[in-house]
Amino acid sequence: MADAEAGKKIFIQKCAQCHTVEKGGKHKTGPNLWGLFGRKTGQAPGFSYTEANKNKGIIWGEQTLMEYLENPKKYIPGTKMIFAGLKKKSEREDLIEYLKQATSS
Amino acid sequence: MSSRNPERKQRLVGQDSHLSRIFLLLLFVVSAQGVTPNPEACLVSSSVNGSSISCQPPAQIPHSLPADTIFLAVEFFNLTQLPADFLQGVPNLQELHLSSNRLEDLSPKFLLPVPQLKVLDLTRNSLTRLPPGLFRISAALCTLVLKGNQLKFLEASWLHGLKALRHLDLSENNLHSLPPGLLENFPDLLTLDLSNNYLQTLPPDLLRGPLNLERLHLEGNRLRVLGEGLLAPQPKLRYLFLNDNRLASVAAGAFRGLQKLDMLDLSNNLLTTVPTGLWTSLGKAARNLKDGFDISSNPWICDQNLADLYRWLVANKDKMFFRNHTRCSGPEALKGQRLLAVAESH
Repeated sequence: MADAEAGKKIFIQKCAQCHTVEKGGKHKTGPNLWGLFGRKTGQAPGFSYTEANKNKGIIWGEQTLMEYLENPKKYIPGTKMIFAGLKKKSEREDLIEYLKQATSS
Repeated sequence: MSSRNPERKQRLVGQDSHLSRIFLLLLFVVSAQGVTPNPEACLVSSSVNGSSISCQPPAQIPHSLPADTIFLAVEFFNLTQLPADFLQGVPNLQELHLSSNRLEDLSPKFLLPVPQLKVLDLTRNSLTRLPPGLFRISAALCTLVLKGNQLKFLEASWLHGLKALRHLDLSENNLHSLPPGLLENFPDLLTLDLSNNYLQTLPPDLLRGPLNLERLHLEGNRLRVLGEGLLAPQPKLRYLFLNDNRLASVAAGAFRGLQKLDMLDLSNNLLTTVPTGLWTSLGKAARNLKDGFDISSNPWICDQNLADLYRWLVANKDKMFFRNHTRCSGPEALKGQRLLAVAESH
């Protein structure tokens, strides 16, 4: 079962250097992730995405994030995000569970 | 065929520059209109700042690049070497992504044509060393990622020239030790990632040099001891990851002065006890570590020696990760008990 607590630790360790999650959180190297679920790629207001990200054209949700977070550069060729991915399915599930909670009210 | 950006200049170097120009313009139109990109072609896009080129198999690595290229990604190929003069003719290059190739060696001159480079990603290659003088003119480089290579050791001289370095990622290599003075010329370093190597000890002066280090990743190594002086040069440290080591001993003053710490991870080590004063030296007991701490998966001996830790735990319990995995291994009467429960009943 997905563990949001474990997911939060993964986020702090591997994502927080470039991303914030809270409403009104600042953009850093990567966009603030508030409102992620149910949104099309490349739509966080005020962030300068690559064309590759903007044109991917999918909706972020559990399935798409599972695929993306395993190998971001394969899912969005041309992305500027430097992240090799999370190989372990359980880690991706945990992270996605945390993101579900942390990026929406 | 229309150009979306009349200011975009495109000068190509090379023999078939006319054909290349048409080819690249075609790719630009295709991608600009949102048509499903042809996987056999590199992705090309353009902005007022310059062109971005991204290539993965089955696309071919281009022989020539637009002179205004600012972003170049050549990834997932089986390249063991880069073509000579690979970066010739792209003087404005800002980002170079070469992850998931099989690069074994880099030419010492390979970055000379790109003095504006800000980001170099070499994740998942086969580098065992870096040539001397590689970063001689890389005074603009902010981010260097060498994650997932085969570096067995490092020489500080390999990194000479990286005056502006902010993020250094050396994780997932084969490093057994580090040289002294590694960071002494990186005043602006914010993040150092040494996770998932084989480090047993650290040079005591490791963190001397940066003025404002924020994140230090040491998880997944073989560290047995956290010494008194290691963290002393970085009182503004915010994130400290020491999980998944073999830590059995932490010096009483190891965290002295870390008043800005937001996250401390000591999970999955061999800690049975900690010295008195360790936790009180973590700034005010009431100060919230904004993100939290994790001391789970250690073989804690829940006796009087943990009195200090119990007080601190109770004061900071809402920031404690994995309470159910933070348990006593002894003494026998308390074996298996949750550490927080023992602390609260103390």
